[in-house]
Amino acid sequence: MIQIQNLKKSFRTEEVETLALNNVNLKVEEGEFAAIMGPSGCGKSTLLNIIGMLDNPTEGSYKFAGHEVGGLKERQRTELRKGNLGFVFQSFNLIDELTVFENVELPLIYLKESKSSRREKVMKVLERMKIAHREKHFPHQLSGGQQQRVAIARAVVTNPKLILADEPTGNLDSKNGIEVMNLLTELNQEGTTIVMVTHSDRDSHYAHRVINLFDGQIVTESQNRAVGAMM
Amino acid sequence: MFKNYLKIAWRNLKKSKGYSAINIGGLALGMAVTLLIGLWVVDELSHDDYFANKEKIAQVFQSQTFNGNTGTGPAIPRPLEKALRDGYSDNFKYLVMSTWNNSRYLKYNDKSLSKNGYFMQREAPEMLDLKILKGEKDGLRELNSVMLSESVAKALFGDEEPVGKNVNINNQYDVMVSAVYEDIPFNNSFHDAEYLMPWDKVLATQEWMKNAEDQWGNNSFQMFVQIADNTTMEKVTEAILNVKKDLNEDTAEFNPQIFLFPMKDWYLRRNFENGKQVGGRIKYVWLFGIIGAFVLLLACINFMNLSTARSEKRAKEVGIRKSIGSQRRQLINQFLSESFLVVVFAFVLAVLIVLLSLGGFNNLARKEIVFPWLSPVFWLSSLVFILFTALVAGSYPALYLSSFRPVDVLKGTFKAGKYAGLPRKILVVLQFTVSVAFIIGTVIVMQQINHAKNRPVGYDKEGLVQIPTFSEDFTGKFELMRNEFLASNAVVEMSGSSSPTTQIWSNRGGFDWEGKPEGFQEDLAWTEVTPEYAKSLNLKIVEGRDFSREFATDSNAVLINQTAKKYMGLADPIGKLIKDDDEEDPNPPLKIIGVVEDMITQSPYEPVKQGVYVFAKYGTSYYNLRLNPNQSANQNLAIIERVFKEHFPDLPFEYDFVDSEYGEKFAAEERIGTLSGIFTALAILISCLGLFGLTSFVAEQRTKEIGVRKVLGASTFNVWNMLSKDFLRLVIISCFIAIPISYYIMNGWLQDYPYRVIMEWWIFVLAVIGALAITILTVSFQAIKAANANPVNSLRTE
Repeated sequence: MIQIQNLKKSFRTEEVETLALNNVNLKVEEGEFAAIMGPSGCGKSTLLNIIGMLDNPTEGSYKFAGHEVGGLKERQRTELRKGNLGFVFQSFNLIDELTVFENVELPLIYLKESKSSRREKVMKVLERMKIAHREKHFPHQLSGGQQQRVAIARAVVTNPKLILADEPTGNLDSKNGIEVMNLLTELNQEGTTIVMVTHSDRDSHYAHRVINLFDGQIVTESQNRAVGAMM
Repeated sequence: MFKNYLKIAWRNLKKSKGYSAINIGGLALGMAVTLLIGLWVVDELSHDDYFANKEKIAQVFQSQTFNGNTGTGPAIPRPLEKALRDGYSDNFKYLVMSTWNNSRYLKYNDKSLSKNGYFMQREAPEMLDLKILKGEKDGLRELNSVMLSESVAKALFGDEEPVGKNVNINNQYDVMVSAVYEDIPFNNSFHDAEYLMPWDKVLATQEWMKNAEDQWGNNSFQMFVQIADNTTMEKVTEAILNVKKDLNEDTAEFNPQIFLFPMKDWYLRRNFENGKQVGGRIKYVWLFGIIGAFVLLLACINFMNLSTARSEKRAKEVGIRKSIGSQRRQLINQFLSESFLVVVFAFVLAVLIVLLSLGGFNNLARKEIVFPWLSPVFWLSSLVFILFTALVAGSYPALYLSSFRPVDVLKGTFKAGKYAGLPRKILVVLQFTVSVAFIIGTVIVMQQINHAKNRPVGYDKEGLVQIPTFSEDFTGKFELMRNEFLASNAVVEMSGSSSPTTQIWSNRGGFDWEGKPEGFQEDLAWTEVTPEYAKSLNLKIVEGRDFSREFATDSNAVLINQTAKKYMGLADPIGKLIKDDDEEDPNPPLKIIGVVEDMITQSPYEPVKQGVYVFAKYGTSYYNLRLNPNQSANQNLAIIERVFKEHFPDLPFEYDFVDSEYGEKFAAEERIGTLSGIFTALAILISCLGLFGLTSFVAEQRTKEIGVRKVLGASTFNVWNMLSKDFLRLVIISCFIAIPISYYIMNGWLQDYPYRVIMEWWIFVLAVIGALAITILTVSFQAIKAANANPVNSLRTE
């Protein structure tokens, strides 16, 4: 599903040029659950943003489902993102002014789905996330764990091929964190590919494969034998 | 999708109530000003729209040149009618001779009213397309007929049927009501036509008018025409331009040019300079149009500034929306929808403000504007207005906000760039440039009005009352009334004059005097007065003597004013004779017995015109009464009315205070001054609202910085200084831009007034100080609040 070759990403300020990613090569197969780990500033999130098509690489090739996306314009990236990708962020990133239902409904609106279809899909995913009873609440009326469940619901409501999770448990206590990881595992077992950036060793154990980044380069890759050991 | 946009917009508005209040309130205020000005402009532009034939109606104007100065006006000689009818009839559908609008007494049974109206030729009702309510449209056919406006008919006859009834005019003759027509609305020419009578009737009753049939030099009449359907104003003007010059040798030396002045220009483009049309009230339409546009722009700038200042709060939302599939175009639409919603709210509020203020505005602007609830054009224009405002106010925030990169905002690393605030600063500078220019403009307009008001008028206008005496009842009663009024102790002096103190009704030429330069074409203001004219007005005699009843020869005496002395080139005028240059003139020459101080009778902004005051032999049109200064004006007037009614029981007692009549000369400028003062205040208020909002956001953004600085020892003053100086710098830049612009514009405006104020440097300094003071006041509230906040709280929020 994801094929990255010799990818580089540099950031330029007025005086300094920083190389955030240096010659990264990576393959993620369909149905895989990959975790990207590494110390702060090693380029994890930059890599995730490029995979998520929120950002373009400076050099190299990135193929998503066989399509080269490295040099696409923002408009084209948005089109490709829609319905194919779901995001889960550390800080949930729900829109404060929208209710739970409306937040989850938003990607379907951009996909121009009918009202009845939206209602059906949103309620189904909210029920699955066990948050349907809070559909009319606003984000600030929910706990952190509940907010992340809503964020996951929003990420999966379009039934995307790939979910990108950027430290999904970073702002949660351990109980809620486990719950969120279990949800992601469930989604993966149903066939959704997941790429997750994490600092947490515990969370990384949920993944099939752990990719370690250091100074913008992949230093090690390891397979997890006991997937879901913490479940 | 749109619903989703509006939903989030509404929730955002609710969430930030203070911001929303400033935004909607400021925009509503701006829109209200623009709406009011818009209604005023439409009213101005729709002047004379009542007349179906507006595009084809014109007044015949004449330009004449005296000593190189070309004067233009509507006064034409009677023989012109015959000349046009005989030689150019194909050009006209209707040709209507008319008198000026004069006040006359209309009496029915015991009810007597003083009303204004015209004597006009028969085609007038057809040409003006009067809406006949009763009687016939051809109501001027019979010699002894009168057509009444609806309100005059109602006032005279009440519920009685007016048509067929006799009305007495000036106690002179009876005429029969032939028709009643709908009142001509306020913003139209002839709205003062409260009655119409046949032209032939005035010729039959006024000997001098009848005699004027062949007098090409007697420009005492006016003529209206409707041109033929197959021609244009320009073509007709081309045809008739030299008609007078060709037919009359005597007046040819003044190069008379006869032309059509189209009805569509009567109200807005009435000024002529040296024979050329140079505009008129249209400049105020432009001026207020520009003010309206600027005030709206100021309000839009507030919206732009506050929206972009809040960008960091909206950045996260932009990032999320983009990451889950929103295109930039969709975000632009979203922010434009928000702007649309705000503008709709503001418009509703603006309509409310307009409804509440329309009465006061009408009083100020002397208008009768009604809110156009039922006008589809108004609502359609309003929709365009709303969309336009939403686009102007929302486009920059929409483009700016939608440009955020999701990567930056979602990771929380978003910081507005170094120059992100630059457009905002430019907009603040623009706002204050407009405000400072408005301040300077208003101060200069006010100064010019006061300058003209304080100009010495040459006589004492306080405690001077004038009574119109048009009715035949007054004939031969001047001496009797003078004695009665003086004996009543309410009046200390009284005179009669052929025109009111504040106007010139007659100008004459064709004289000769010793030392008159060869070929000199004089044009003298001509006023006929009784002997006590100067005394009753407290008009100073600067040379020679006043009229005296002691000298029988004074019936051929004349007083001239100081300007006339200079104009006529008379170094020693006393005893000099002014003769008619027609050798066969039977009248004896006029002997100059005195020179009076110049008195302002026309525009207070113009030089005083050369004038002569001759002994009135044939009666006058006004009584001028100097009230007893030892009694109150009310006491005096009560006594005067009693005496008046004893002698003229059937006539209504009408009078004017000369000082208030004189005040009318400033009415147009005062209205402009007051309105621009109000609009300036609103413009400043709107700009300050914006500044207030911006300061609060800046203070909020820099909360942590302020906290740290305070912990490190910054005083309240330091913090205040830090937050205020940026804004003060912007306002100072605005002043530097506004001063030359306003100097240039106001200098141009003042050129219209020969008697004008000099623009002093301190006006500009005052405007700068004013703008800075207002800025400091506005900014300080938030700055001091932020400076006094406990740093522990602000640091804890991080």
